[in-house]
Amino acid sequence: MLSLELDRIRKAYGDTLVLDDVSLGMDAREFIAFLGPSGSGKSTLLRIIAGLETADSGEVRLDGQRIDHLHPGDRNVAMVFQHYALYPHMTVRENMAFGLRNARVPKGEIDERIAQAAKVLEIEDQLDKKPGQMSGGQRQRVAIGRAIVKQPRLFLLDEPLSNLDAALRTRTRVELAQLRQRVDAGVIMVTHDQAEAMTLADRIVIMNDRRIQQIGAPMEIYTRPANAFVAGFVGSPAMTLVKAALEPGEGPFARVRLGDGAQVETRVSRAGLPVDGPLRLGLRPESVRPAAAGTGTTEAEVLLVERLGDRTLVYARLANGEEVTAQDEGNSRIRMGDRIGLAVDGKAAHLFDADGTGHHAEAAA
Amino acid sequence: MSAAVSRNRLPIAATAGLLLGAAIMVTPLVWTLLLSFKSNAELMRDSATAFSAPYTLENYRSILVGSSVSRWLLNSLIVSLGTTAGVLILCSLAGYAFARLDFPFRRTLFVFVLLGLAVPEQAVILPRHQFFALLGLHNSYPGLILPGLVAPFGVFFMTQYFRAIPRDLDEAAMLDGASRFTLFWKVLLPLTIPAQATLGVFTFLGSWNDYWWPLISATTSDRFTLTVGLASAQMNYAQTSGLGFLMAQAVFASIPILIVYIIFQKQIVRAMAGTAVR
Ligand SMILES: Nc1ncnc2c1ncn2[C@@H]1O[C@H](COP(=O)(O)OP(=O)(O)O)[C@@H](O)[C@H]1O
Ligand SMILES: [Mg+2]
Repeated sequence: MLSLELDRIRKAYGDTLVLDDVSLGMDAREFIAFLGPSGSGKSTLLRIIAGLETADSGEVRLDGQRIDHLHPGDRNVAMVFQHYALYPHMTVRENMAFGLRNARVPKGEIDERIAQAAKVLEIEDQLDKKPGQMSGGQRQRVAIGRAIVKQPRLFLLDEPLSNLDAALRTRTRVELAQLRQRVDAGVIMVTHDQAEAMTLADRIVIMNDRRIQQIGAPMEIYTRPANAFVAGFVGSPAMTLVKAALEPGEGPFARVRLGDGAQVETRVSRAGLPVDGPLRLGLRPESVRPAAAGTGTTEAEVLLVERLGDRTLVYARLANGEEVTAQDEGNSRIRMGDRIGLAVDGKAAHLFDADGTGHHAEAAA
Repeated sequence: MSAAVSRNRLPIAATAGLLLGAAIMVTPLVWTLLLSFKSNAELMRDSATAFSAPYTLENYRSILVGSSVSRWLLNSLIVSLGTTAGVLILCSLAGYAFARLDFPFRRTLFVFVLLGLAVPEQAVILPRHQFFALLGLHNSYPGLILPGLVAPFGVFFMTQYFRAIPRDLDEAAMLDGASRFTLFWKVLLPLTIPAQATLGVFTFLGSWNDYWWPLISATTSDRFTLTVGLASAQMNYAQTSGLGFLMAQAVFASIPILIVYIIFQKQIVRAMAGTAVR
């Protein structure tokens, strides 16, 4: 059943259009991540759902009811702010009780809900502290607790982990994942960290340039990026994109020629591609293997070798100047300046046409 | 370790200079205090007797029984507390409005407030006098309090303070279902308490020490504030007679203000150091 629906949301600040006809349907209990570069309108969209901003046009519905004209407090959503926004003069307990008191929840039930949330979040012994006396990680928990006790239909998290240090961030990520199993509500999390989105979300909404670029499960977005932006944005290191031209031929699959003359046999169906016009070949580092010079698909000069222990990333330059990222095993002996061959796995290659639309290999046989 | 210690210790010359300065400040106060405990008759002969016994509480007794000083003290308290309460209420409301609400002419009005900072009392006191005379407000508590409620600095100060509070808190409170009043009263106002204390102390002291307006507005002794009352007393008693009594009145008058200083020491020092905001 659909819980949250966004219907053609538009929003401009002055002359700057920030969101252009954004639509989205979300299942109850789904965890969705808004992922995109800074300034892509993620927070704005979240704030429109929360009621902190008003869309210029479009509708927001929750469980079938329009909520876009409601006061934020009446929308049955709870938000966790990037900088926590805990009330500094109130204790943790008062912070959590504030919203419930405003909603006239009976005292006994308030205490009960706080006790329960505090137990889940392991902040039982902190309830009488003020936020100023707590560490960043603890404040984060309180902010989450303050949202949980409201028992909302939808949680909205704006970059909830971005203020934590790396170790704490990983731990909190795990905890968020566990927490999410316990609450009977949908979650929308804004993030610019793809690892966060990939780990936590059921579906990822990729945003850029005022629009949703793609909505899909994490692996779907990774393996079948809808366009060149998504391909370049998701995955680390980024997918290599090099110029390519379609070779005339008869087979069902496209065969392309690279800028340096090398040819790659892909598994992308020839049928959907434009007959002529420039293409780009998209290669994940794991589908390009270094090989001895003279063997493999093409030749390249090594620009940089990045040793990550379990694998080695090789940044290399083709004869025509384009750069390609390849992946070698951990104990690779390749060095900067070497001339190597590159073995391209055409089965895993992607093609992007002139307007950026992605074309992918037919589902693996 | 020795470096840390020596950094906290002043050079001897500086210490001596500071002690000298302190002595110059304190001497008149000690002198006042000593004189206030001497009988007026003895002082009339020679005020140097203040350095030796016998001391007496006679002057303080006369304040409490025979004189108007208690009345003036009460008037000062009413006027100063009334002014302070009024200023805090008005400046908090105005500061919140300027910092958070969107209303027509907000910027223009704020410029007017800032211009108010530049208008000296001397420039407005005559028209104010005429205006209050017209309204029949002279020689009354409202007449003494109302002019003090015009506090452009207070409005500016509170506006800046409200502006410094992150808007996240407003938004969190809105999502927590708070009405505008609840947001103001339960979330924002408590966060301005340091500013309230600073503004309150300065308003209270300013009002307590104000002399000019009460001198104009309060025309009968039962409406005098302490400053005006004491000055009138000074005129009645030439310095030679009743010197001890006069000094006792001065001491008596400073007690409330001393209490304010002691209670709000921290805020006053902080405000003086210019760190009241943040
Ligand atoms: N209150 C505002 N006034 C004007 N422009 C804004 C405002 N809030 C956001 N913007 C602009 O809208 C765009 C999207 O912002 P935001 O939603 O915060 O992006 P994100 O969260 O994806 O980084 C940015 O270009 C930002 O400068
Ligand atoms: Mg943002």
